Amino acid sequence: MTIRLAWRSLWRNKRRTVITVCSIAFGLTFAIFFIALADGAYEQMIEQMVRIQSGHVTLEHVDYREAPSVDLSITIPRQLRSEVERWPAVEETKLVVLGQGIVKSGAGNMAAALMGVEPSSEQATSPVARNLIKGNYLEPADGPQVMVGSEMAERLNLGVGKKLVIASNDVNGTLVEELCRVKGIFRTGSEEMDAYVVQMPISFARRLFRLPRGGATQMGVILRDPGSQKRIIQRIRGLLHDRSISVLRWQEVMPDVATYIKMDKGSNLIFQGILIFLILFTIFNTLSMSVLERQREFAMLMAVGTTPGRLRLQVLVETIFLGLIGCFFGLLLGGITVLYGHLYGINLSGIMGESVNISGFALSSRMYTKVSLDIFLGSTITVFAATLLLGLVPVRRATRISIVDTLR
Amino acid sequence: MKEMVQTQNLTKDYGQDGVVTRALRGVTVTLAAGEFAAMAGPSGSGKSTLLNIIGGLDRPTSGTARVQGRELSGMSGSALSRLRRDNIGFIFQAYNLIPVLTALENAEYVLMLQGVPSRKREERVRAILKEVGLEGLENRFPRQLSGGQQQRVAIARAIASEPSLVLADEPTANVDSKTARSLLKLMRRLNEEKGITFLFSTHDQAVMKEAKRLILLQDGQIIHEDHREEENYSR
Repeated sequence: MTIRLAWRSLWRNKRRTVITVCSIAFGLTFAIFFIALADGAYEQMIEQMVRIQSGHVTLEHVDYREAPSVDLSITIPRQLRSEVERWPAVEETKLVVLGQGIVKSGAGNMAAALMGVEPSSEQATSPVARNLIKGNYLEPADGPQVMVGSEMAERLNLGVGKKLVIASNDVNGTLVEELCRVKGIFRTGSEEMDAYVVQMPISFARRLFRLPRGGATQMGVILRDPGSQKRIIQRIRGLLHDRSISVLRWQEVMPDVATYIKMDKGSNLIFQGILIFLILFTIFNTLSMSVLERQREFAMLMAVGTTPGRLRLQVLVETIFLGLIGCFFGLLLGGITVLYGHLYGINLSGIMGESVNISGFALSSRMYTKVSLDIFLGSTITVFAATLLLGLVPVRRATRISIVDTLR
Repeated sequence: MKEMVQTQNLTKDYGQDGVVTRALRGVTVTLAAGEFAAMAGPSGSGKSTLLNIIGGLDRPTSGTARVQGRELSGMSGSALSRLRRDNIGFIFQAYNLIPVLTALENAEYVLMLQGVPSRKREERVRAILKEVGLEGLENRFPRQLSGGQQQRVAIARAIASEPSLVLADEPTANVDSKTARSLLKLMRRLNEEKGITFLFSTHDQAVMKEAKRLILLQDGQIIHEDHREEENYSR
């Protein structure tokens, strides 16, 4: 009877109940959608970043982080690499050689970040390979051929096939120069990438920097499931006997990106909090009005012997119904919008332009939402729990009446 | 004569902004089981206050009130709730039915509070609704019933739990005279057949006429009592 009474009481004022349910539903939908969009954007950023740089997990010289230098190279045993590549959680591994240099052409010269990569690994997944605008991508058999960014190509008047000279210091500190040709030009949308990064085959990079056979600055491990990062790190550490090699998370290799994501998540949380507060305000208003309008009825119920506890239970059940219905529709709508965003992406070029540059990485303006049970459950539980908590105030008020004065 | 209600030197003061109003001034009255009594008097005479105290809805400032031998002032809030639920039925001037419950559901509400199983509740209430002349209207909502019919539902609710005492505060105030007479007849029949004690608070002459005992109040005191029949009422 209490449940029946609660359910019917909810629909005494249909319009008000519908408005409240819609508030909860839309509020939850927005919360779910924006979290999913943000998480999707972070994922896209991290994916691009780990593929350009050195993976979700990075192996490098133990002193490299403090003072990056091409002479702080590592040699990864082939068995270790093969073993790691066999793990189901691992998509692939890649070796990179990183250095600094000057790129010179007839039109001038520029500082450059030199990156020696394994074309066989990079071809399928590298943002450089995916954003080719002229020429072709590197191949394993290539010699002194490089990929340059569109900005650098423009400033140094470089085209496909054109010559350039790369000057740098090798592992011994000796100035070295190599002549090479442009094989391809890329445009990622990130100024840092397009103006400063020069990619070359790792064999050419080793020759340039006089690195030993098999030497590299880093080995990157790209994971199928980024959530397995911690576990993979532990396993690699278990296999690694060379103490001069450290195994790092991408967050440690790219702390500015990690900080950006953290800060953005923090501001999102504030936004979500404000959104939820607004929903709760509507719910509170509805429940309070509903209780106020029924004070005489409550007084009568108590007069005939209803205990305050039972009356509070009735109002609480009404609150639960409101929360459940609102959250159901919120989940449904949120699910539909997130699924759409996941499959087709949300084009934000009208607001953001063609791409967004975040910490040197270009993020496409077509963002994909992340589908995650945690997002759905977390948001729903938060909104539902907040609804219940807020409902406690009118619940208490329902019984804090003078029966005699109210019935008079 | 079994006592149903007994008050001894009951006073009730109301205070607001430092002004004290004495609603009852030392009221002593005894009601026997099975009585059909009415309290009458001008507005502000203390009728409703006395009714509320007897019903455990309000507490006296001083004096005592007993229902079925139980002293009310010493009882906790939950004990008073239980007393009202199990022993006292209320009929209000404004019916006070729950608008989202049907006639049957309204009438069975107190039985639900008592934990009577659903089937048994329905059986009993259907019989009572028939008794009060509402057979066939069990599934109607209050808005679909006339004033008189709603008050019959209220009466059904008041007696469904078989209370020993029914307190009715101006039960005929919101109905026409014909309906009022019919309701009074019903309550009188319930009093005679089931032995339920009725105590009214009223301005209505018809109620005063129907009552076997009339208690007149003025300025918080009993000024006159009139026993229409000298009978020993007992259940």
